[in-house]
Amino acid sequence: MSSTSQPVLRVRITARDTETLRALLREARPDIGGGPHRADDGTCSIEAYVTGEQAEALEREGVSVTTIENATAAGLARQAEVGEGDRFAPADAVPHGLAVKA
Amino acid sequence: MYLNITEVESGVTSLATAFPATSELIDLPEPSVEGRAAHALRIGAAPAGTNDCAVLIGGVHAREWGSCEVLINFAADLLEAHDTGTGLVYGGTSFTRAQVRKILDELEIVVFPLVNPDGRLYSQTVEDLWRKNRNPAQSGGDPKRIGVDINRNYDFLFDFRTAFHPDADVRVSDDPGDLVYQGPSPFSEPETRNVRWLLETYPRARWLVDVHSYSEDMLTVWGDDENQSAHPNQNFLNPDFDHQRGLPGDAYGEYLPKFDADDSIVLAERFCTAVQGVRGRPYTPMSAFHLYPTCGTSDDYAYSRHRVDETKGKILGFTIEWGDRFGGFHPPWQEMSDIILDVDAGLVQFCLTALA
Repeated sequence: MSSTSQPVLRVRITARDTETLRALLREARPDIGGGPHRADDGTCSIEAYVTGEQAEALEREGVSVTTIENATAAGLARQAEVGEGDRFAPADAVPHGLAVKA
Repeated sequence: MYLNITEVESGVTSLATAFPATSELIDLPEPSVEGRAAHALRIGAAPAGTNDCAVLIGGVHAREWGSCEVLINFAADLLEAHDTGTGLVYGGTSFTRAQVRKILDELEIVVFPLVNPDGRLYSQTVEDLWRKNRNPAQSGGDPKRIGVDINRNYDFLFDFRTAFHPDADVRVSDDPGDLVYQGPSPFSEPETRNVRWLLETYPRARWLVDVHSYSEDMLTVWGDDENQSAHPNQNFLNPDFDHQRGLPGDAYGEYLPKFDADDSIVLAERFCTAVQGVRGRPYTPMSAFHLYPTCGTSDDYAYSRHRVDETKGKILGFTIEWGDRFGGFHPPWQEMSDIILDVDAGLVQFCLTALA
């Protein structure tokens, strides 16, 4: 269940119970992110990465799908945060780690 | 900024050059599918093989970018602090100079930060949500069917159709078009074989930690079913339980001796406590099955080796799932920097707990 021709959305799938979510994931096999979260009211949710069309297809009785963000746009923004060249090419350049050394 | 694949490699190389007394560059034997060389870093003040060894791997799933940075920064923190005689401070979690010295003096650490360079390059430059490697062998020429999920390519219960109950929602597939495609056979991928080589080459390996994202968990074995310590005959080697594994709450549970279960959960709990101390993020220690049923993963492979072949040493396997719903697989770099501090504090504590 993947497509690169349409924007990919990060969505939250919320089912009325664990078994409903399991059945949906077994049938549709969406690209999921993270693990399932069970709420106090018995509902169970998980994040998925799907096209708008696929998101609509996931909607059914006992299941709601809400869009979190346009994952394609977010991905492009993240790709702009990847280094270019080689920051460690100079002879004295070395990773220092983020912890404070004290 | 996130590291590109050249920078991950040069970061490892430059650390080995800068700290020759406490680190050593490891050439992995196999290039990636697209021909890229891979390197790891051995950390420790004692000669190789003197101390028990923790093997830390990352960059397995292409889109989980920050895993490489977690490991590069972890190595850099330890090496620099040991060299300059300081402790390490990660927000509200800190470690003394003596603790840093203890880790470098009494433990061997092998850091392999980028198992899947081809996938990371593709994710960082083309399709950011790419997960697998870039092996086209089983694709039939269809670009959507390229790649194998490295973390389903190990030999633990690889024949999932036989091992698992038909209703088990085991997250694996034998369809090359699927995101969790296991590959045509166990260890079919050079990236997977490189990890196996590390465990074979460092026979004092006692712990494997595989860094992934996201759900803020520290996972212990097993991934195929719930753990139990009462019925040794219920185990992955016993064909009497084929077609029964993978269901929660039923009669079958995967056998894990109590002393290993206890050791695993203590290591996972201490990791989570150190993470939470940094800025309050509540990571959860639990067995991998409670995320979802799996097979062919690195942590279960690492632990299962000594059960399959008694000549091999026992390795406790772990999987970190860093990050939460805020940023998904690759959060904005500012958030990722905070996550690196969280996880690296947890890893330092993991090493200290392993030595205790």
